[in-house]
Amino acid sequence: MFRNYLKIAVRNLLKNKGFSFINILGLSVGMASAILILLWINHEMSYDQFHEKKDRIYEAWNKDTFSGKLQCWNTTPKIFARTVERDFPEVEMATRVNWPSNYLFSIGEKRLTVAGNIVDSNFLNVFSFPLLKGDPNTVLKDMYSIVLTETTAKNFFGDADPMGKQVRIDDKDNFTVTGILKDLPNNTRFKFNYLLPWAYLRKQGEDDANWGNNSTRNYVLLKPNATLASIAPKLKTLKRKYDNSELTNEMFLYPIKRWRLYSSFTNGVEDGGLIDFVKMFAVIAAFILLIACINFMNLSTARSEKRAKEVGIRKVVGANKGSLVGQFLGESILISLIAGLAALLIVQLALPAFGTLTDKKLFIDYGNFYFWLIFIGFILFTGVIAGSYPAFYLSAFQPVKVLKGTFLKSDKVVTPRKVLVVLQFTFAIILIICTAIVKEQIQHARNREMGYDKNNLIFHFLTGDLEKNYALVKNELLGSGAATSVTKTSAPITQGWSDTWGIEWKGKAPDDKTDFDRFSADEDLGTTVGLQFVKGRDFNLKQYITDSSAMILNESSVKAMGLKEPIGEIVKDNGREWHVVGVIKDFILQSPYHPTKPMIIEGAKGWMNIIHIKLNNKNTTADNIKKAEAIFKKYNPEYPFEYKFVDEDYAAKFKSEQRTGTLAGLFAGLTIFISCLGLFGLAAYMAESRIKEIGVRKVLGASVTGIATLLSKDFIGLVVISFILASPVAWWFMHNWLQNYPYRISIQWWVFAFAAGLSILIAVVTVSYHAIKAANANPVKSLRTE
Amino acid sequence: MIQLEKIYKWHNNGNNRVFILKDINLSIEEGAFISIMGPSGSGKSSLLNIIGMLDEASEGNYRFLGQDVFQIKEKQRSELYKQNIGFVFQAYHLIDELTVYENIETPLLYQKIRTAERQSMVADMLDRFNIVGKKDLFPSQLSGGQQQLVGIARALIAKPKLLLADEPTGNLNSKQGEEIMELFKKINEEEGVTIIQVTHSEKNAAYGKQIINLLDGRIEKK
Repeated sequence: MFRNYLKIAVRNLLKNKGFSFINILGLSVGMASAILILLWINHEMSYDQFHEKKDRIYEAWNKDTFSGKLQCWNTTPKIFARTVERDFPEVEMATRVNWPSNYLFSIGEKRLTVAGNIVDSNFLNVFSFPLLKGDPNTVLKDMYSIVLTETTAKNFFGDADPMGKQVRIDDKDNFTVTGILKDLPNNTRFKFNYLLPWAYLRKQGEDDANWGNNSTRNYVLLKPNATLASIAPKLKTLKRKYDNSELTNEMFLYPIKRWRLYSSFTNGVEDGGLIDFVKMFAVIAAFILLIACINFMNLSTARSEKRAKEVGIRKVVGANKGSLVGQFLGESILISLIAGLAALLIVQLALPAFGTLTDKKLFIDYGNFYFWLIFIGFILFTGVIAGSYPAFYLSAFQPVKVLKGTFLKSDKVVTPRKVLVVLQFTFAIILIICTAIVKEQIQHARNREMGYDKNNLIFHFLTGDLEKNYALVKNELLGSGAATSVTKTSAPITQGWSDTWGIEWKGKAPDDKTDFDRFSADEDLGTTVGLQFVKGRDFNLKQYITDSSAMILNESSVKAMGLKEPIGEIVKDNGREWHVVGVIKDFILQSPYHPTKPMIIEGAKGWMNIIHIKLNNKNTTADNIKKAEAIFKKYNPEYPFEYKFVDEDYAAKFKSEQRTGTLAGLFAGLTIFISCLGLFGLAAYMAESRIKEIGVRKVLGASVTGIATLLSKDFIGLVVISFILASPVAWWFMHNWLQNYPYRISIQWWVFAFAAGLSILIAVVTVSYHAIKAANANPVKSLRTE
Repeated sequence: MIQLEKIYKWHNNGNNRVFILKDINLSIEEGAFISIMGPSGSGKSSLLNIIGMLDEASEGNYRFLGQDVFQIKEKQRSELYKQNIGFVFQAYHLIDELTVYENIETPLLYQKIRTAERQSMVADMLDRFNIVGKKDLFPSQLSGGQQQLVGIARALIAKPKLLLADEPTGNLNSKQGEEIMELFKKINEEEGVTIIQVTHSEKNAAYGKQIINLLDGRIEKK
């Protein structure tokens, strides 16, 4: 019996190659999209879930109130780790991970800046990063020990055994390789090429016991039988116990399984985070698959007359409904299997591009038993969903009617299919509208006045001897004509590295906790980056010797401090007094989607990390860079010349939104494509079932255009209904999405008009092929068949 | 074998009731060969469909081999039908995607007969109808007469007690029609299969042992 069904199925597929192709193509594209999205979702959900002790690992967080708002953040004091280990019996151990460091590594002739972390020596006892060589309990015990990842070790030592070899760091200290880590998996929040012991940080004088300095990440491993409930109340008051200036602070532990997807807080409560994105894409995956299934249903039922005779005969020779349902479900599962294999091929081909798009290394683990289990399940599921309607529809035919040929009541057949087409187009139109609005919002933020001139501007870290030779470097850059202005700053102009609510000024309210962005620069900042001064002047050390302790405020700062005449006012920060010499217009330091914050720029006595260079626009950029490189090599020979363009760094701020836009566009395109395949099939059916009507109309003198319009009209009606359904849904989604961006567009009516026009156009083009073909057919032929 | 009592069949067309069959009373013994005749629209095919359990009457009683066809459950009726009734159509109604062999085999698939047994039964049938050489051809590759032979072979493969034929020769030329009628006669006489056929042709009707004339849904009394 099964063989009989299989034969029928295969012969039917081969006999109707066009239909089979459309059917399988639509289904496989839909499945491939769903598989890609599921791979991505699976990847996101697997973050840091491989640690053996994951059920006991927590990250320490702060919670405090600022200007009436409850804020949560995950940098905590360095002293936290040892304190909780000592004070709380529930804690098995705590480990600190400092900010990523970029050290210069020298091994023999090789020199390279490499990113890694300084961690407590128990780090590898908490997190499961397997060592290929070395003992996790001892690898980081010695101050001068270093653990490398496999790839880093290979880069430096080739195939030689790296254990026990020396690595020189920053031309200062020699470290001995004590362990080799297996390369980090893709799905972890950690990104390091090496680990250095905390003792080295202490040696450099960067450790502190200050409860007010929230400067590192602390991770806590609870004992197996300990509960979060017993430790939570004690953590709430921990900071207040050790630091009486902390009045409202509470600390809490955040479990590992929520790190990746949930760690977004508003007013002290989790409010989604990446999980929203994951859910949204899960919905999109489900819908694309559903749309592909709908297609299948539409095309299968459209061919029902062709199969009706077979159903009738089978019933007459003894088939019951159950066995016919089985047969048609089997057929759809067969098609779904073929489509599934084609989908795997598509996924395999699309993975590299999709990986680039999502910035992830995604892959299919073909060796995994569960993958195949899920894949088979997926095929069965799709096959049953796609095949159920046709199966029950076809198997319900009454043999007497079918065999007599009185079957064919197209109204009944078409109505459910019209509903399905409306569903498809509703989804497609929602995606079109969303894509258009996302793109518009990105453009809106891009066009925003940024407040400085990003062109011809580069920055470079003050590595190695650059700090020492800064004056010489600057002189030569200006002298050689490569640069027109050079300024030392605390951070790149595109990034905020420091903020504070601890500064004081005349007339500050005692409970004022306004947060200021903190920046510093030596001189000519205004010229180098092109700031616009509203009052006062730029830093100028040559003319004003005291400018090393001068300060520039932005307009928001002046407003926040309530200063009437800001020039000459004194602002206290870090135990130092700064006098205000200038006020600038606000510029975008961080997010182009958010309002600019109050900002203070401290003078040359501030903290310096970066050199900004305004390149001379009279020369070509390549020339300027070449000259600059030579100068950097001369004064900082040990370090590579690693500069960045400010405009590129600025563009990176749009990456995430651009990705959203591209993905929405991609899935909109796919949905439309699949829907059009379905519409195409449906149009073929409609044209066929109305062939007699068309013949009669032609005999009575209808024109080709008239008939083509008649046939297309119905479909346009469907698209219009879809548009009416889709618009409010899309509006609601996008309205909510835009709430994430304080600097945003308002939704314009033309976006909807555009979506409506586009979808109608696509529908007309799709349908017109069959409409025109039917209209051109010779009526004598179609009428003769009756 | 078959007892029909007061069989009525009607359609509701708006407020009007259109009668297709009126007060049909008929008793058919096993081994009979009956030809039903009558003009178009006289209800011949409807009667055949009711006897063949493809359709239900609007009113009346129908007993088949002692069972009340309209009262028993769908499943039992389906069993009764599968075991005992074979159908032959004017338009042959073979499955286009299956070969001759597979078409003949199909009813056996629905009766859960094992492969080996199935093979021998189909082989027998092919042999008897002299179409062994055609077993791998598809219906579209056969002439009308050959297709009808396959249709009859399919109807007989499950060894039914009753063969129902709805204008079996309607699409055939007279020579082919004659051959089919000879075949029916042989089956009826040699194997004792009860045959009821609907036909337009006096000549073909004469092959039957008994002729029933229908007019406007009633059996005409002779």
